[in-house]
Amino acid sequence: MYYYIFDQGNLPMDKFERLQTEALGYFAEFKISGEAARVTPLRSVADLVDTASQRGAKTLVACGSDDTFNLMLASLKGRDFTLGFVPLDEKSFLSKILGIENIYIGAKTIAARRIEKIDLAKISNNFFINYLEFGVTSHNLKSLSWYAALKLLSSEAKNYTIRIDDSYNLSIAALGGLAINIRSASASGQKIADPTDSHLDLLILEKMSKMQTLRYRQDIVSGNLEKIPNTTVIKCRKIDFLEPRGTPLTMLGRIVAKFPAAVELIPQRLRLIVGKNRTF
Amino acid sequence: MDKFSDESLNQQAETVVGPSVKIQGDLNSDGNIKIEGYVTGKVKTSQSVFVMNGSHITADILAGNSVIGGEVQGNIKVTGHLILQNTAKITGDISCQILRVEDGAQFTGKCTMSPSNGNGKKAVTPTHEEPESEE
Repeated sequence: MYYYIFDQGNLPMDKFERLQTEALGYFAEFKISGEAARVTPLRSVADLVDTASQRGAKTLVACGSDDTFNLMLASLKGRDFTLGFVPLDEKSFLSKILGIENIYIGAKTIAARRIEKIDLAKISNNFFINYLEFGVTSHNLKSLSWYAALKLLSSEAKNYTIRIDDSYNLSIAALGGLAINIRSASASGQKIADPTDSHLDLLILEKMSKMQTLRYRQDIVSGNLEKIPNTTVIKCRKIDFLEPRGTPLTMLGRIVAKFPAAVELIPQRLRLIVGKNRTF
Repeated sequence: MDKFSDESLNQQAETVVGPSVKIQGDLNSDGNIKIEGYVTGKVKTSQSVFVMNGSHITADILAGNSVIGGEVQGNIKVTGHLILQNTAKITGDISCQILRVEDGAQFTGKCTMSPSNGNGKKAVTPTHEEPESEE
């Protein structure tokens, strides 16, 4: 049985109502109707996941923003579901990765049930499928002006200590970095950010000259740090961010943990319904 | 026999240790490793290890193939090709199947060669290339 979790998020009510009606119409058209529930101030995403589990649902579909999907992921608590996503938010990062551009394609994709087993990452008690950022990369460089971004990227490097796979310690003077499971630039066969390779990719950006900053700014913004000379690239399954203590780790601009924090990968753990145009 | 040369450096390395990185412990990987920084401990992969000019390794290296252009204090054991570039400084024993030593490479230690697959002869292919001038 399909269980649809509708989340208004930041949408105006009238727009949300319209999109929900549109989505339910497509679900009926593709004969994938199930139970639909709406997130309210008294009924969180976690409550709805519990309800779905009690009702015996096998497929959970988040209809909303990336946050809705992330909250659903965090609420699984080890329960075995196949997950799907229907974007109601036009700026969704996940919709690009999963190849689900809009509600219609979302419904069509769920009906086609193309399921991919992907790696699931865990930080503290939060599960995630995308990536974490620290240092300068955790700032929203896209929204900064040319000058502000240059100033930020020209700031002094910090000394980071990171333990990898409980095997070795890495000390580096760096501007920041990324711990990636999946990203919008992921592609099949690519060695970096493949969510099916059972590895996380840790990319660490060293201090750059002003010329390099100007030249590679776009790669930094898009998270393609491996294209920048002197970037450290480590494939691993477990990352312990040790120092400097208190450094925030962010996911899509939101702080999810602070150093010290451990990130682990659970290989091929998640069954995810993906679109034909997915990026991996 | 498969070809392996300095050009292999252009292969995409799965693990890249940048110039300001210091690693302490056992660096294990399933893919190619490129080291530009400092490593103390052990380096192990079934693929290739590239130790770049300017890097400092105080560790044993176990790999399929290796190109050394930096400073290594430790034993190097590779099952295939070992190339010592003109900037290499090695203090330790080396073991490989095929060895190439460029003019200017410094090596202090014992060398053990295992027979090649082809004709069972021990293969030693030293070259006498002029060191390339730095641009």
